[in-house]
Amino acid sequence: MSSMLRCILRSICLGCHDDWERNKLLLIRARRGRNKGARCSKNLALHPTNMLSRIIIVSASALKGSGPLGAGLVQASRSLHTTSQSLAPVPPLPEKGGKVRHGIFPEEIFQLLYPKTGVTGPYMLGTGLLLYMLSKEIYIINHETFAALSMGAIIFYGAKKFGPGVAAFADKLNEDKVAKAQEVKDVAMASLAQAVEDEKKEQWRAEGRSMIFDAKRNNVAMLLETNYRERLHMVTNEVKRRLDYQIALQDLHRRMEQEHMVKWVEKSVVGSITPQQEKESIAKCITDLKALAKTSQATA
Amino acid sequence: MVTSFFDQFSSPLFMGIPLMALALLLPWILLPTPSSRWLNNRLLTLQNWFLGMFTRQLLLPINHPGHKWALILASLMIFLLSLNLLGLLPYTFTPTTQLSINLGFAVPLWLATVLIGLRNQPNLSLAHLLPEGTPLLLIPILIIIETISLMIRPLALGVRLTANLTAGHLLIQLISTGLFVLLSLQPAVAILTGALLLMLSLLEVAVAIIQAYVFVLLLSLYLQENV
Repeated sequence: MSSMLRCILRSICLGCHDDWERNKLLLIRARRGRNKGARCSKNLALHPTNMLSRIIIVSASALKGSGPLGAGLVQASRSLHTTSQSLAPVPPLPEKGGKVRHGIFPEEIFQLLYPKTGVTGPYMLGTGLLLYMLSKEIYIINHETFAALSMGAIIFYGAKKFGPGVAAFADKLNEDKVAKAQEVKDVAMASLAQAVEDEKKEQWRAEGRSMIFDAKRNNVAMLLETNYRERLHMVTNEVKRRLDYQIALQDLHRRMEQEHMVKWVEKSVVGSITPQQEKESIAKCITDLKALAKTSQATA
Repeated sequence: MVTSFFDQFSSPLFMGIPLMALALLLPWILLPTPSSRWLNNRLLTLQNWFLGMFTRQLLLPINHPGHKWALILASLMIFLLSLNLLGLLPYTFTPTTQLSINLGFAVPLWLATVLIGLRNQPNLSLAHLLPEGTPLLLIPILIIIETISLMIRPLALGVRLTANLTAGHLLIQLISTGLFVLLSLQPAVAILTGALLLMLSLLEVAVAIIQAYVFVLLLSLYLQENV
């Protein structure tokens, strides 16, 4: 039984080329059938059409390419022609209308009659018909003929005079439509080309990036160097200040010692002068002065 | 059977089957159907252009609520235009020469405008019955006159179209009959008559177009008053 299933599966695989899901579904269905027990083999033997109809449906959907839908949906879309599959691709419009001769008679009649009656055939046919209708009084000339003739003259004149103008106007309407769309397309293309140019320029600019980085690096290095030098200078100054302070301190010490010593010497000298010595020195000074006064008086 | 010039206006029958419906449907066959293509052939392009231009022009003075009438007014114009112009061809029946058809167009459409006006803005539509700046003494008389003129509008619309077309067709028939008879008797006069017929045919083409346009224009005017 499983071999039969495998055969069926293989035939299905030949029909539908890609869908794993469909095969799986069939396998699941077959397995479910198998689980139903002994009935299964009877099913396969006595109702081969069930499985065959499933094959047909599956292959039909495979051909349609619409996926594992129910059979009803497949048949419905095929009969109603509502899907876009029946409309696309749209056949192209003929560029010019059918060719006519003398404004009314299609060229096909002339081509039709040419093998049998040559070039003058259709004209003979027309004339003959007209004369036949007139002579047999199928068409009677009455007042309406003249009304028809005058109306025909007006229509003919209008078509000859305004026909090309109106046709050109209609063509211009269409061309304007196309031109508008074309302009949109051109503007879009121009802007995109401009964007490509700008991008290239930006890439060129980006190449010079390394130069900028070098310059910046140099800048930073210089700043660091300056900063370092400044700080060095500051440190030197500070150190010098401290050393000057120490020197000043030492000078001060020495001066103070010197002054102190001098004062002490003076004090001791002044202290060593006894009152008697003072009197003697004063008396000496007086005698010296008197002597000086005498000498000066003498000179004066 | 004695034929008269009015036989051309009798309702067409064929073995007892009235052909009026066929006569009314004929223009529909001749007009191209809009397609879903982007670029169309010349006829369809011209039709689309004409309809667009005409509708825009017609609805210019009408307020926004009246724009619902665009479809019926444009299609009425195309219908009347094609009926009138096709009727100028020989041996054709012009439905618009029948008063029944024209009144059938005029009365419902006119009545619709009046009812729309009375329903949505009764004060304003009644105010139309009295023109501005009338002397006090004339007011009662003027209201009566304006009401009569309002009521006569559908009749005027229908009869105008009927009369113009009927008169035109009759004149063409008469002058072409004269031409037909004179051609054998006095060819020189016949040439003059022929020239007259040519002029008249030209006039009739113009009248056909203008009468259709006037019908639709007046209806749009009545709409403009009431919406």
